[in-house]
Amino acid sequence: MSITRRQALGSAGAAAIAASSLAKPAIAATEPIRVGYLPALTGPSSSTGIGINRGIQLAVQEINAAGGINGRQLELITRDTQSDPTKAVNGAAELTHGQKVSVVFGPVNSGESLAVVPLLARATTPQVHPCWVDTLTDAQKYPMCFRNAPTNQQIGAAANRYVLDVLKRKKVAVISDTTGYGTASVNAYVPMLQAKNAEIVYQGNVDAANPDLKPELLRMQSAGAEAIMPWSVNAGFLSRIINTRGNMGWDVPIVGQTTLGSGQTKALLEKPEFWAKVYPNNFRNVCYGAGGKLPERTTAFVERLKTAKIDMGDTLLWWIALGYDSPRMIAEAMKAVGTEPEQIVSYLNKLKGFPGVYGDITFSPDQHNGYPDEEVVMVEANSLKDGAFNLAPGYSS
Amino acid sequence: MVESIVLTGVAIGCIYALIGITYNVMFSASRVFSFTAGTLGMLGGVLGSLFIAQMGMPVAVGLLLVFVAGAVFGIITEIVAVRPVLKSLDQHLYVLSTLALALLVQQFTAIEWGTEARPFPRLFDVARGGFDQQFWLPMLACVAVIVGLELLYRYSLIGRAFLAISEDNYAARALGLPERSLRMASFALAGVIGALAGFAGGEMLLAFFGNAPILTFYGFVPVALGGMGNNRGAVVAGLLLGLFQQAANFLVGGIFASVAVFTVFIVVLLVRPEGLAGASLQRRV
Repeated sequence: MSITRRQALGSAGAAAIAASSLAKPAIAATEPIRVGYLPALTGPSSSTGIGINRGIQLAVQEINAAGGINGRQLELITRDTQSDPTKAVNGAAELTHGQKVSVVFGPVNSGESLAVVPLLARATTPQVHPCWVDTLTDAQKYPMCFRNAPTNQQIGAAANRYVLDVLKRKKVAVISDTTGYGTASVNAYVPMLQAKNAEIVYQGNVDAANPDLKPELLRMQSAGAEAIMPWSVNAGFLSRIINTRGNMGWDVPIVGQTTLGSGQTKALLEKPEFWAKVYPNNFRNVCYGAGGKLPERTTAFVERLKTAKIDMGDTLLWWIALGYDSPRMIAEAMKAVGTEPEQIVSYLNKLKGFPGVYGDITFSPDQHNGYPDEEVVMVEANSLKDGAFNLAPGYSS
Repeated sequence: MVESIVLTGVAIGCIYALIGITYNVMFSASRVFSFTAGTLGMLGGVLGSLFIAQMGMPVAVGLLLVFVAGAVFGIITEIVAVRPVLKSLDQHLYVLSTLALALLVQQFTAIEWGTEARPFPRLFDVARGGFDQQFWLPMLACVAVIVGLELLYRYSLIGRAFLAISEDNYAARALGLPERSLRMASFALAGVIGALAGFAGGEMLLAFFGNAPILTFYGFVPVALGGMGNNRGAVVAGLLLGLFQQAANFLVGGIFASVAVFTVFIVVLLVRPEGLAGASLQRRV
């Protein structure tokens, strides 16, 4: 039987196709799994990103050293957003279309996430982010987007709980700067306080650059305020509230935003003792409880950080812990169901009590905010040691 | 309450007045309102904090370097943002060019210095008290600048040359005065005054990049109210603005204080468009 040239070419082609289709899974099973990562490592909002990055790098090293995900190494494809939403969008587009990553973690600042979340939703790429702005998760609008951190609602509710239920104060002064964050926070938290029968004796938005806040604090004092709740990320504004309270000799507690406990705020205080009775938000798992001890899981984590020579003194433990938990949660999903987007999303939709150092994360198909309410707490601002704070007085540990 | 209104009001008013004088000194030499005046104030605070608090220099050296930086920025403003648009003064292009330079420097400060306010050092190591250095330093700076300018304009040749340029720069040039050099010297002088405003008010305003637009804005009010190019008017209007703003802070509070300030500003300009102390301009025919 003679073989024509066409037949010979045809069978060779078929063999080549068969060979390539056979070879493909073999290569795929060993090549690294690409995870996109959009931190702000430079620029004005980079302090959070730098802290988170230390945890992320440690977690990825540990995952890969332990054999990776079902034999495949985890490869972080990092694009620094430079604290700029435009660059975050460019980074996200490149990660999904150019690098074809399986999942994206980040951005880690809300301003950048507001730009990136809708974009990733259109690209049908699963996303995990730790940003607080409430609208950044919506199980209907963005079914592939999950938050492994609290929302602003949870942050405000925790401060309100502390003032009303733990400190038992009823007359509250709520103040913010005139930024979008400040005014939105006051507008959201005041009705929440009123729903818990608090009396709002002062409510105001003040320009953050106003050099003298004494008129505002005098107004609060004469209205009988028993607690001041400032909502601002501006260290200058917050330090002026603390300094004015100190100079007035008024010992009313100040309960509010995490920046109250930041190094920038501390640097602007007229006297160190003015920082007493200032209670910013933090997270129970990464706080010193009674006897100055961290919870067991966190103690073990801190030991690992020390072994890996990761510095905690110039950042916050909760940032490192959050960074550490995120790739581990993603890796757990991939280990169980593989790297297909739909599979990862359906796994995360049923995730129950993932034991993170930062907090236990639980999602459901309708609830993509995974952080538990009761783990958002208040701490003593002046107790910072190795990146962690003491729980504020009054909590049962 | 009255004590607090007067102390803070006069101190802030002095800073506004100094920024107003900065506008005026630049305006007299060039007929240009340079919106870099507030940026100079901001730089005075930021650089003062950088030199003294961060780099550990003695206060006198820090102040001197702040003056030098202010003068250099003044000269750069003249070369980059003012000189190229002088030919078409009637098109008011200087608004764009000086604002652009101001924004450029403000953003650069935000990137290099950070967007958080940082502390300004205590210049004299004495305990805080009622009449604290954060209040009397701006007042002292304001008095020093008023007296200094008065002496300069009355008794020195260069001061008289400044006056000649501002009165009629064609005639001054015809008499052989070096107009360009005098203009650059005026901008350097304005740079020093603006930087001094931020330096003296540093403890009150903190070393914060965001002070630039606020000072540009509130520093312009005394110029408009006091009459353009009129330093005495700027000082009186600056002090009144500071006192009124602080009184409004106490009486209406919060964000409404700014509303009150600008309502009064608009009403005054409606009633007296040439400013409280300004003479109405007579047009030559």
